[in-house]
Amino acid sequence: MTPAKRWLPFTLKIALLTLLLLWTLVPILWMVLSSFKPNSIITANTPRLLFTPTLEHYATLFSGGNSLWPYLTNSLLIAGTSTLIAVVLGCMAGFGLSRIRIKGKQHLAFWIISTRMAPIAAVIVPLYLLFRYLYLLDTHIGLIVAYLSFNLPFAIWLMTAFFDDLPPDLEEAAMIDGATKFQAFRLVVLPLMTPGLVTTAILCFIFAWNDYAFAQTFSGPGTQTIPIAAAQLLTQTGIDWGKLLAIGTIVVCPMAIAGLLVKRWLVKGLTLGAVK
Amino acid sequence: MMSPALVLLALITLVPFFSIIWMSFNDVSLMGGLSMTFSGLDNWQRVFTDPDIRASWLISLVYFLATVGLEMLIGTVMALLVYSLRRGSNIIISLLLIPMFIAPVIVGLLGRFMLDPSHGLYAWILNETGLFDGNILGSVGSAMAAVILMDVWEWTPLVALIVLAGLTSVPEDTLEAAEMDGANYRQKLLYIILPSISNILLVALLIRAMDAIRFFAIIFITTNGGPADSTKIIPIRLYDIAFRFFDLGYAAAVGITMLVFSILVANAFTKLLKRRENAS
Repeated sequence: MTPAKRWLPFTLKIALLTLLLLWTLVPILWMVLSSFKPNSIITANTPRLLFTPTLEHYATLFSGGNSLWPYLTNSLLIAGTSTLIAVVLGCMAGFGLSRIRIKGKQHLAFWIISTRMAPIAAVIVPLYLLFRYLYLLDTHIGLIVAYLSFNLPFAIWLMTAFFDDLPPDLEEAAMIDGATKFQAFRLVVLPLMTPGLVTTAILCFIFAWNDYAFAQTFSGPGTQTIPIAAAQLLTQTGIDWGKLLAIGTIVVCPMAIAGLLVKRWLVKGLTLGAVK
Repeated sequence: MMSPALVLLALITLVPFFSIIWMSFNDVSLMGGLSMTFSGLDNWQRVFTDPDIRASWLISLVYFLATVGLEMLIGTVMALLVYSLRRGSNIIISLLLIPMFIAPVIVGLLGRFMLDPSHGLYAWILNETGLFDGNILGSVGSAMAAVILMDVWEWTPLVALIVLAGLTSVPEDTLEAAEMDGANYRQKLLYIILPSISNILLVALLIRAMDAIRFFAIIFITTNGGPADSTKIIPIRLYDIAFRFFDLGYAAAVGITMLVFSILVANAFTKLLKRRENAS
C-alpha cells in the first residue's frame, strides 16, 4: 500500500465499511431469508432469526391457478427478444458509426443519446396512444417495441464506444490480405468484440427485465411480466408477504449474478462509454 | 450497416416524439373510442399555471437534490474506502454493487417490507430504539425521507463504481511526491485526488441526473405520491394525469417539459465527452 492511500485510522475505516455493507446487504439478505419463513413468522411482531425453513412459498408460486409461470415466460420472451434485436442492430450500427467520418456525426450521437435519456413517463404517453391505434396494447410485440425505445439507442451507443477502442488497423490488414469488408468484420473484428457484446446484452436484458412502468401501462392479462406479478400482490389488502418475497428473490438473484459476471466492463456500460 | 438500426430507431423515437408534440395541442379523449380535438395552447397554459404541477416540480427538485447529493457524497466516500483497502476490495465492491441490479419494483417492495409498521425489521429497530414509532410510509416527511433513502440505497453503488474507476487514474507518483513534501490526507484529497477525478465525478453526476427523472417505479409502488401528495414527483403526477384522469393531451404537455430537462442533460453529456476526446 502506498502511504498516499492511508487516510483514516484502520478501525474507523473498517467500521465505516461494515456500516456501508450492512446498509447495502441487510434488506436483501432479510428478503431472501424471510422467503423461507412461514407467514406466521414473517408477520410476527418481533423479528426472528431462527426458524424451520420452508419451501411453501416457492411451491405455491409454481403450482395452482395463478402461478408465476406465465409471468416468467412473458418476461423471458419480451426481455430476451428486445435484447437480441437491440444487440444485433446495435452491433452493426456501432461498427458503422465508429468507423465512419461524416459531418454532423455529433448531431447523430446527440439524437441517439437523448432518446436513451428520455424520461419514461414522457415516452409512455405518446406510445400508449400509438399502441391503441395499432392494436399493440396487451401484445408481446408492443412491449418489445417499448423496450427497444431505450435498449436500441443504448446498444448502438455502447457498441460504438467498444468499437472505438479497437484500432481499425486490424480489419484494414485483413482487407489488404483479400478479405471482403464483411469477412473482415465477421472473422476479425467480431471475435474481439465478445466482451462488448456480452456486456451490452446483459445490461439490455436487465433494463428490460426490471422495467415496471411500461409493463404496467401496456401489458394486459396475456402479457404481464414478473414485476407486474409483484406489484399486483403488493396492492392487495392482506399482503401475502411470503409469496412476494419469493418473487422478489426470483427477480433479483439472476440479475445480480449476471451483472456481476460483467463487472469488469460495467463502468463502461453504465456510463455509456464515458469512463473506461 | 448502420441503416437498419437507425431506421428502426427513427421509427420508434421520432414518431412518438412528433405525436407527443401534436398531442400537447389537442384535447385527447379515450371515452367512446379515441378522439382528438385541436385545443390550441390550452394544455400549455395549464402547464404553466397549474399549482399542482408547480408543487410537483418543487417536490421533484427536493427529491432530485437529496437523492443525487447523497448518492454523490456517500458514493465517493464508499469508493475512497474501497480504494484504500489492501486486499478484498474486489469482493467488497461486488457486494456493494448488488442493489443497482435490483428492479425498482423490488426496491419498493423491500422498502415496504422493511418499514412495515407491524412487522418490518427497520420499523421495529426504529421503534425499539425510540427514534420513530409512527407509520413511516404513511406520514408526511418520513415518507419523503424513506423514498429518498430507497433511491439512495439503489444508486449509490453506481456512483461508487464510477468514482472507483476514476481513482485508479490518480497519478501515484504525484501523491508520493506530495507525501514526501509532508502533505496530509486532507491536502492530498483536496489538491490532488479530487481535481484529478473531477471529470469522472461530473460523469457520475450527469448519469444520475438523467436517471433521477427517468425512473419513478419506487415511489409508484410504495407511496404512489402520498401521503397528501407529499412524494408526488413530476413523473408520478404525469402518470396520474394520463392514466387516472385520462387527460392525455395535458399529460403530453407535461411530458414535453420533462423532455426539455433530459435534453439539457444529454447536451451536457455529449459536450463533456467531446471535451474529453479533445483533451486526450
